[in-house]
Order: sequence, then structure tokens, then C-alpha cells
Amino acid sequence: MVESSLTASRRRAVVGETRHLLFSVTPGAAWITVFLVLPSLYLMAVAFMTNGPYGLPEMPLSLDAFRQLAGFGFLGWSPGNLYTLLRSLWQTVVSTALVVVVAYPLAYYITTCRERWRPLMLLAVVVPSWTNQVIRTFGWMNLLAPGTPLSDLAESLGLIGPHMGLYPSDFAVTLGLVYNFLPFMVLPLYAAFEKLDVAQVQAAQDLYASPVRAFRHAVFPQTLPGLLAGTVLVAIPAFGMYVIPELLGGGKSMMLGNLVARQFSGGSNWPLGAAGAILMLLATFVGLYAMRRIGRRLGGGEEVVI
Amino acid sequence: MRRRTLARGLAGFWWLTLVFLYLPLAVVVLFSFNSVNSAAHFADVSLRWYHQLLGNAQILSAFRNSLILAIVSSVIALVIGCLIGYGMYRHRHRRLGWLIVLIYLPIVLPDIVFGISEMAFFVQINRATGLLEPGLGTMIIAHVTFQIPFVALIVYSRFVGLDPTLFEAAKDLYASPFKRALHFLIPTLKPALISAFFLSFTLSIDDFVISFFTAGPESATLPIYIWGAIKKGVTPEINAIASLMIGAVLLAALVSLLFNRPRRR
Repeated sequence: MVESSLTASRRRAVVGETRHLLFSVTPGAAWITVFLVLPSLYLMAVAFMTNGPYGLPEMPLSLDAFRQLAGFGFLGWSPGNLYTLLRSLWQTVVSTALVVVVAYPLAYYITTCRERWRPLMLLAVVVPSWTNQVIRTFGWMNLLAPGTPLSDLAESLGLIGPHMGLYPSDFAVTLGLVYNFLPFMVLPLYAAFEKLDVAQVQAAQDLYASPVRAFRHAVFPQTLPGLLAGTVLVAIPAFGMYVIPELLGGGKSMMLGNLVARQFSGGSNWPLGAAGAILMLLATFVGLYAMRRIGRRLGGGEEVVI
Repeated sequence: MRRRTLARGLAGFWWLTLVFLYLPLAVVVLFSFNSVNSAAHFADVSLRWYHQLLGNAQILSAFRNSLILAIVSSVIALVIGCLIGYGMYRHRHRRLGWLIVLIYLPIVLPDIVFGISEMAFFVQINRATGLLEPGLGTMIIAHVTFQIPFVALIVYSRFVGLDPTLFEAAKDLYASPFKRALHFLIPTLKPALISAFFLSFTLSIDDFVISFFTAGPESATLPIYIWGAIKKGVTPEINAIASLMIGAVLLAALVSLLFNRPRRR
């Protein structure tokens, strides 16, 4: 008798807790499910449909969209889309590498400065990224346009043809990406440098390690968690970038994001765009997974917050 | 000796990077005071474009749209995100992996996929039922979706930082859950709620891609208006409105610096 009333009260408590959980979590979970999970699933389904006459997806299921993405069209095979894909990959790799090269000395330099200045220095690095992306990119358009000092300089060095301007070009897109993502690498690297065990570096130096070897064996492993976190924050959004290639690149420097977006506006072809979006999603999740694996393998362990 | 050159080189690199970071913004601000319409030639200082701004009904309506969108979406996201953050904390011992995945989804999804899938979905719902006409409404829905996770995570981490016995004490003090929320949860959460609101607000103001794809013909925000003007090549007032937005960001940076100072020392 006593026992049964105990289990009953426990059951009531469990039911109450569950009701509490449902009450608190349901609105948000339902919101994200209805307004993001369902739309993404719909988009994925669209990729397997046929393109109708008005650019809207129609029924017979097919793999046409993926064939088109690989370059097969009415007129046979053309490499345009593949070039776009490769360009996206290339731009991602190059800009991420450049960001790393710039961010390492910066992050290190901030840690060598007096402690009271550091928050201000970090703020100085981050503030430009608080301004709107469109405005920042517009600033670069102004700087790189034909007839500006930078373009004139490049022209007199023979890097570009006369009256060309540095934008639109692949170079301008890379520059824009580096500019856009630099803070996202400096912050995690700074966090890693701040925790750096200086004794290890000094030990390496005492053992007459060259600066390169001291960096490789003492500094690099300790800053690896920051580097990986930064790479996730830079490379994944860079691969799906839309604004920068659209403004600084133009038609010849398109990236995957532009290819996808175009299928939903002017030259409507939803299934093709959706297939491109699936590719982007795959790249995102593979990238996240790979970084996690690398982080564990190289001993970043739990510190790698992904 | 070698160390000193290294230090000097690093300092030089630092200042060079600062120039790199601020040059594009400086150019926009500088040319907003240009008296002629040119990005290459600075003629004379004038406030001409700022005057034109005040007479441009499209810019004023874009500004109003940006504000309405940011405020309404942040308030909705604050309520929903706060509930979900509290739920995550209270039930953190349960297996909530699916919830974590759900919450991180809006953060990891590439902007363009986010925006396009919502657009495609809204268009089809609209065709079928007439609901979800593209406009401020669909934009608010989209913004709330990417704001919820940030609010939830801020609220959750605030709770994790609290002493768990406080919750027991609150339970003893206030019988009804409503009173507990009013006298304990909301006051302790106040700093987290304020920073969550401001983060949501800035995320919304700052967003371009997702707004762009979920917007309707009448609901252009400032970034969308600027984008359109750049694309059309009509840019005389763009420098002026962009400068005002840059100014707002610098002001925000200054405020955050002043607020954070006393605590750090």
C-alpha cells in the first residue's frame, strides 16, 4: 500500500517534470522544426524533382539536377559549374590559409602587450566585423575600383591591364574573404596563446631549437585547439559565401553560393539550386566532422569546442 | 637583438593590419563628405548626400523596416529562447541530444541554404494557402529562427553559472511557479536577458543574406536597400547611409568598452 503510493507520487513527479520539459522546450523546438527543419527537408526533396517550365519543381523524381550540377545540359557537357565548384574550394583554402598566416602573429602580438591594453586591441580587431557585410564589401569596391590609388599602383607595376581596376576579380574575392574572416581566427588563436605554457617554449629555446622548430614543437601543438576552432569559423562560412563574390567577383569569379542563389532568382531552376545547396550542406557537415576528428587525433581533446 | 627586431616587426605588422581593417570603412566615411559623385576623386567637403538622405522616402522606410524587424524578432526570440534555455538547464540530466542538434542547426547552416530553403518553403505555402506572404512577417519568422539558439545558449550558460541550491531555496520561498519566475528567475537572469536581447538585435540589424531571400517587395531593410543601390550602380547617398551605420557600430563599441572596463580591472 505504502509502496504503491510512493511509486504513484514518483510517477506524478516524473509526469510533472516531463510536462515542464515540454512546456519550456516545445515552443522553441517547434519553431525551429517548422520554420527551418521542414524547409530544409523540402529543399532537399526539390533537388530530386524535375525543373518545370516556370522554374518551379515538378513531379517526376529524377537526378537531372545533379547531372546539371556536374555540367551536363541540353548542349552536352560544359565545365562551367565544375569550375565554380573548384573555385569555391580553392578560394576557401587560399583565404583560410592567408587568414591563418596573418592571424598567428597578430594573436601572439596581442598576448605580448600589457594586459590592460588587450581588451581594447581585441575590440579594435573585431569592430570592423560588426559593421554590415554589404557595407564592408562596398568599401573594398571603392578602394579597388579602376582609377583608385591601389588600382593605379597595380597598373603601374604591370599586374593588371590599363583601366582594369583590381575588381571585379578572383583576387578581390580572396581579399574580401580574408578581410571578412580575419577576426574569427584572431579571437580563438588569442585565447589559445593566452593559455600558452611559456616554459615549454623557453625549454625549446634553451635546447637551441631554431625558431621554426620551437614554433613547430612548442607553440603549434599548444595553439592547435584555437587554430581548429578558427578554421571551422572561417572555412565553412567562406565556402558558402554569397555577398563577397557577388559584389567583388562578378560572373567570372562566381562561387557555389552565387550559383545556388541564381537558380532561385533570375534564371530560375530550383532543383539545380537545391542540388547545389545539398552539396554545400554536405561540405559543411564533412568539414565539421573532419575538424573534430583532427582535433581528437592531434590531442586537442575536449578543448576543441565545436 | 634579434628579439627586439622581432618585437618591432610584430608591432609594425599590427599597425599595418589595423590600416587594412579600417581602410575600407574610412574610405566610405571620407567619400560620404565628397561634394561630387565620384569614388576616385575627392573634390570638396560637403554634407550634400546627408541632406539628400533625409528626403529619400525609400531609405527612411528601409530604416523603419530594419528597426521594426529587429525589435519584434528580438522580443519573440527572447521569450522563446529563454524558455528553451531554462528547459535545457532544468532537464540537463536527461538525454537531450536531439534538442542540442536542433538548437545548433540554425547556427551551423550556411546563410544561403538557410535563406533559400525558407524562401522556397514560404513560396510554396503561400501558393497553396495564401498564408506567409513574403514581407516583414516572413522576415520576422526567419530572424527569430536564427536568434533563438543564441538567446537559449546565453540563458543556459547563465543558469549553469548559478549555485544549484538557489533553485531549491527559491522553491521553498515561493510556492507558485509564477511567483518563482517573477521574483527569482527573471531578476537573476536580467543581465543575461539584456545581453541576449542586444545580441539578437544586432544579429537582426546585421543580417543581409537571410533577409534578402525572405523579403517581399515592400519590406526592404537598410542592407537590402544598399545592396540594390550598389547593384543598380546608383550610389550617391550610399556612402552617407553606410557612414551613419558605421558610426552606430563605433558608438556601440565605445559603449561596450565603457561598460566592460570597471569589471575587468
